[in-house]
Amino acid sequence: MLKSTIVDTRVRLRPSKKLLALLDAQKEHFEEMPANVAKALKDNGYSLPTSIKVLKENELVYKRPTIDTKLLTKLTADIPEVPLKSQVEDVANGEEADDQQEQTVKGNFLYLNDIHWLRDTLDKLRQQKKINIFLYELLENCELILPENEFKPRNPELEARCQRLRDEQHNREYHKMTKNVDATLKNVPEDTIAYQLKSLNKQIIAVAQFIFSVAAGFTFGFFGVNLMVGPLPFGFRILLGVIVALIIALAEMYFLAKKLHEYDEVLDAPKRKKPEPPNVSGVQNIKPHVD
Amino acid sequence: MSTETDRIAAGQLLDSLYLDMFHLIEAHTQSRIDIERTNSSGAILLARTKFQQGGQAISTAQIPTENSAEFNALCRVVSVAEKKWAEISVERHAVDKEKGYMEPLHWFSVLPPLSLRNAMDKFKKCIEIVAESTNVQRELSAVLSGIDRLRRSVALQ
Repeated sequence: MLKSTIVDTRVRLRPSKKLLALLDAQKEHFEEMPANVAKALKDNGYSLPTSIKVLKENELVYKRPTIDTKLLTKLTADIPEVPLKSQVEDVANGEEADDQQEQTVKGNFLYLNDIHWLRDTLDKLRQQKKINIFLYELLENCELILPENEFKPRNPELEARCQRLRDEQHNREYHKMTKNVDATLKNVPEDTIAYQLKSLNKQIIAVAQFIFSVAAGFTFGFFGVNLMVGPLPFGFRILLGVIVALIIALAEMYFLAKKLHEYDEVLDAPKRKKPEPPNVSGVQNIKPHVD
Repeated sequence: MSTETDRIAAGQLLDSLYLDMFHLIEAHTQSRIDIERTNSSGAILLARTKFQQGGQAISTAQIPTENSAEFNALCRVVSVAEKKWAEISVERHAVDKEKGYMEPLHWFSVLPPLSLRNAMDKFKKCIEIVAESTNVQRELSAVLSGIDRLRRSVALQ
């Protein structure tokens, strides 16, 4: 199983019965209501008066609340910081009690905007002295659903392919390892003369290219500069030729070394696209080496 | 009466703390996703470089060992102690060879391929997002402890 990326980063809240009942009791005071709250009410069997205007998701814009840190420190000045352990116990006990007391309802979730609206509404109602309850008291009974990763099974095709590639890799390693132990396996991939000639040819061509370019550089220094500038002394012409050839040789040497190194690698790794390594002796099969 | 106004103030504060907590949880989740995305795209670019340049192009053998010359860190985490939760930020220094600030990209090649450069940018960005995420997480734990203490103080009243 693989963890996939979180798609929905929103915090969701499953409203409790207490919250819905309170909203239902106060519904004549509302003028408008977010769509999610309205839906949660309707799904749980509460009716809504038609005068309430249902707000869509994008009509609600709220900012992060500012926290009065001075007030917070003032109010909590005489409360000690408790060790984490007792905190956890507290939370666990509280949850159990909540479970027993009040079952949360099924169905809809409330999102952050709805909770903002709820706070503002409760604020208004408190000012009008209609209720005396705070949002946190309502939220205590609600179920908070945090965003989580989904688990996805791995694609079986991909798994099979990876397994095949792994097997091939192990096989190759094993083969390389045992090449100089078992005489019959020694020249398995490069057993034919054609193959050896081919790789030899490639190297010869690379070396020949090197010689040609050095020779061409010398020729340019020896004849070319003489033709362009006019008659030069013989010793100077040789010097020029050697200098140009040397520069080209240095540059070419780098590429040659790189290329020959690559050939070494190619020779080390047996050819890839062989479903089964060739059976030389006809007696011994190469065992696939899998961990 | 004073206890009543106190209770109302505490209640309102607690409400805004709860809302702030929700906001912070969302921000934290978002930054986690961003870290995941940037990191994986950086890793993919690194793999692309290896694919294009061959297996030997980028390897651990090019990274300096214990015996190589010392150099200063280009990127450091510094704490900004302005707020209650110690906020951290990432400080970057310009490359300056004479003062010992090396460019790590040049360990691998003098002319690094584009995909390697892009991968480095991604990983740099990732570090910054990690710092942001840490800040959000610290803020969140501060808010949570605030909620906890305030609730106990309300319960005492």
